[in-house]
Amino acid sequence: MTDATLAAPAPEPVDTQAPRPRPARAAALPLKWLGVAPFMLFALLFLILPTIHIVLGAFQTPEGEFTLRNLQGLAVPQVVRPFMLSIKISVLTAGLGCLFGLILAAAVTKGGLPGWIRDAMLTFSGVASNFAGVPLAFAFIATLGRLGLVTVILKEVFGINLAATGFNLISFLGLTLTYLYFQIPLMILIITPALDGLKREWREAAEILGASGSQYWRMVALPVLWPSLLGTFALLFANSFGAVATAMALTGSSLSIVPIILFAQIRGDVLQDPHLGYAIAFGMIVITGIANLVYIVLRTRAEKWIK
Amino acid sequence: MMGSPRFWSWAALVAGLLYFFLPLIGMFEFSLRARRGEYSFQAYANVLADPQFRETFLYSVAVALFTIVLGVLIVAPTAFWVRLKLPKLRPVIEFITLLPLVIPPIVIVFGYIRLYNTSSWLPLTGTAMGTNILLVFGYSVLALPYMYRAVDTGLRTIDVATLTEAAQSMGASWFTIITRLILPNILSAILSGAFLTFAIVIGEYVFAALLNRPGFGPYMVWMGGNKAYEPAALAVIAFGITWACMGVIQLATRLSKHNRVQR
Amino acid sequence: MKSTVKASGAIALAALLASTAMVSAQSLAELEAAAKAEGMLTTIALPHDWCGYGAVIEGFKTKYPEITVNELNPDAGSADELEAVRANKDNTGPQAPDVLDVGLAFGPQAQAEGLLMPYKVSTWDEIPESVKDPEGHWYGDYYGVMAFGVNTDLIDTVPTKWEDLLNSEYAASFALTGDPRASNQAILGVMSAGMSRGGEPGEESGKLGLELMAEMNAAGNFVPVAGKTGTIAQGQTPIVAAWDYNLLAWRDSLAGNPPMEIVIPEGPSLAGVYVQAISAYAPHPNAAKLWMEYLYSDEGQLGWLAGYCHPARFVAMTEAGKIPQEMLDALPPAEGYARAVFPTVEQQEANKKVVSEQWDAVVGANVQ
Repeated sequence: MTDATLAAPAPEPVDTQAPRPRPARAAALPLKWLGVAPFMLFALLFLILPTIHIVLGAFQTPEGEFTLRNLQGLAVPQVVRPFMLSIKISVLTAGLGCLFGLILAAAVTKGGLPGWIRDAMLTFSGVASNFAGVPLAFAFIATLGRLGLVTVILKEVFGINLAATGFNLISFLGLTLTYLYFQIPLMILIITPALDGLKREWREAAEILGASGSQYWRMVALPVLWPSLLGTFALLFANSFGAVATAMALTGSSLSIVPIILFAQIRGDVLQDPHLGYAIAFGMIVITGIANLVYIVLRTRAEKWIK
Repeated sequence: MMGSPRFWSWAALVAGLLYFFLPLIGMFEFSLRARRGEYSFQAYANVLADPQFRETFLYSVAVALFTIVLGVLIVAPTAFWVRLKLPKLRPVIEFITLLPLVIPPIVIVFGYIRLYNTSSWLPLTGTAMGTNILLVFGYSVLALPYMYRAVDTGLRTIDVATLTEAAQSMGASWFTIITRLILPNILSAILSGAFLTFAIVIGEYVFAALLNRPGFGPYMVWMGGNKAYEPAALAVIAFGITWACMGVIQLATRLSKHNRVQR
Repeated sequence: MKSTVKASGAIALAALLASTAMVSAQSLAELEAAAKAEGMLTTIALPHDWCGYGAVIEGFKTKYPEITVNELNPDAGSADELEAVRANKDNTGPQAPDVLDVGLAFGPQAQAEGLLMPYKVSTWDEIPESVKDPEGHWYGDYYGVMAFGVNTDLIDTVPTKWEDLLNSEYAASFALTGDPRASNQAILGVMSAGMSRGGEPGEESGKLGLELMAEMNAAGNFVPVAGKTGTIAQGQTPIVAAWDYNLLAWRDSLAGNPPMEIVIPEGPSLAGVYVQAISAYAPHPNAAKLWMEYLYSDEGQLGWLAGYCHPARFVAMTEAGKIPQEMLDALPPAEGYARAVFPTVEQQEANKKVVSEQWDAVVGANVQ
């Protein structure tokens, strides 16, 4: 379940606790911090230290000295190609996920459809955004594989031989199609509150001023939604970049994306250089870190409009 | 309202439905093909009769339960304490709980393998039980963002400070306050977090595979390579479990709606 | 959980046994006692349908219920097994493998790296000379010949030779059983392809094999996915080149749904030997030795035979009349074995070097 991420953050309500004057208790200061000690210890041991160990390892030689050699070791084709491929897939699935997710979310919230469809769509999106990994790969093999339902239907009912068109599920395109299954619902979950924030008055005002539907979208809605869209794009990008279980179940370890080569490197040093694994992991952290930073920054900007 | 956008909305909806439901139908149909020439539930029978299925599924369920308990024990008191006593620390804690979403899980488990192997100060991977413990802690980290957000949302709706002061004035200890006052009031939030954790742990692959533990995720991958129709049956079962978890969460949220302070 | 007293006694006994010369087999009773004291055996890369390993492991467990068999990564390739030993040199936990089953070419490589502990089983003399290390670091366990397994639901014309696979009707149909940089079975698949083009086993077969695979990839017929029962049946890899014993076991497990045909390709037929070895860093050396004794006993050898493999002691056991006729009948037909070529260790090593190093450059098959 490595592909799930947070659903739409709920808008902050008014804090129900008013600030109260507290009597100064100097002796209580150390005790207060004791309360968060278990959490801090847990986070330190099982989240922060392992990550720091990896980051430091990326800059260390086997003897323990500081070096940039490991990062330089990333410049070989066996590593650069996977990074490029991962970035390509992530950009594509994030972009298409944003596009199709926006269309679906807009259709359901603003498109004049019955209200119950919106609730059903949101519930389904909640489930589908978690239906990633191994079972999703099996579902797509069962549908678009050589013996899949859609392949067979296309052959028998429409006379189209899917294999002859060159389509192969085990390909960049096939993986993209599979990833969209959890990217689109994630987009729907996140963009729906933003779409709700598009006040109806703006639409009515635009109509009064003579704007057509597409002009409204182009000049009013999209500029307002832009931070949300870009932010969610970044989030979907990071989500896709770190995903490994789906790809492994679909292609075995043959698809050269970064998480899979890291997996192979951890299992058995296939790249003949133990510290290269640290460098690859560090590269992953940097990329997903930047993407998430972009998401958070843009989300804060976007929330202005929702209030 | 103009008619033509509605047409496009319906068109988009139908396209979306096709995309989302065809794989589910395909998966189900494929799983029925175990017996040649006829539809049957043979694949499901094979899966359920497989001792490995039971072992790995029960293993993952057990790990999930421990993870939920650990998660609640760590998150609920911390969220409560921070809300009450250390509100300035909240952004720091929130940042920490968002880290598992930023750092790819494969990197985290890589860190465990390098940090807690038998030549380290905490040789957890040296024994099967130690590795199990490491796995539970690892899953707790993965579930941390969801658990924390769920509990935090739940705490937002009850007036923590007043309740605590009232309880303290009646002589309740911190332990009593947390267990008998706070936890019951955020039960639906905890349930949400718990079921999301369960869904995450059951299908998880990377941690279980790299730590060599007999989890349900690696079992499913193994089946995918070795059997023809059983993987589709497994996928249906896994999807059903995810649906059930989400369904319970929806129920829990809806049941607590009447408790929530209206904004 | 054993008590510390019992454990320390066991450790003393194990240390005593460990300190004696490793090369000759100890008395079976002592070995059994020491192995039971260790209580666990960690294996790696033993799929249950490979040479009937499932039944073999069950047999071992039934005979020695005090020993838990901890099975690691059944889908690991030979290179992955060696890597697991290297990665767990300091680790005495359950991730460190005790015993290995790797391709012939990987035996000397592991020995040169010092990864193996020598041991000679009690039936040592019945193992053919050509497939064992004289000092006992590695020893042949079974062999079979390379063949094609074809899903006849999806493929109308079954290919009969390697050249057939270049035809356009086999678009996106053929796969090896693993990564030719790590899996012995895949590397020897390439060797078989090379031999079909007239290449001498060794460097030449490696080169010619890579050429054929490159042509196949360019024609769009090669699928860079590890082929197994599941992928054959689900349609991703309708044609797979693998050992005949594997293909037969897979065919059995599919039970006709879908039907599978097994073809030994025309031309020289490649016989591949695998070797057993004990890890030099084995956490449970006595359990490992007991496992070897079991595998090379009549029971173990017949277990492999039931899995369609020809065990190492096949010739000796046939002469002694120890093999039931039904088992002999169930084996693949003998004419495939009549033209079988057994590459020597040196030839396999030369082939392996060429294939694993040049696969990326020559074939460059990656999922596009």
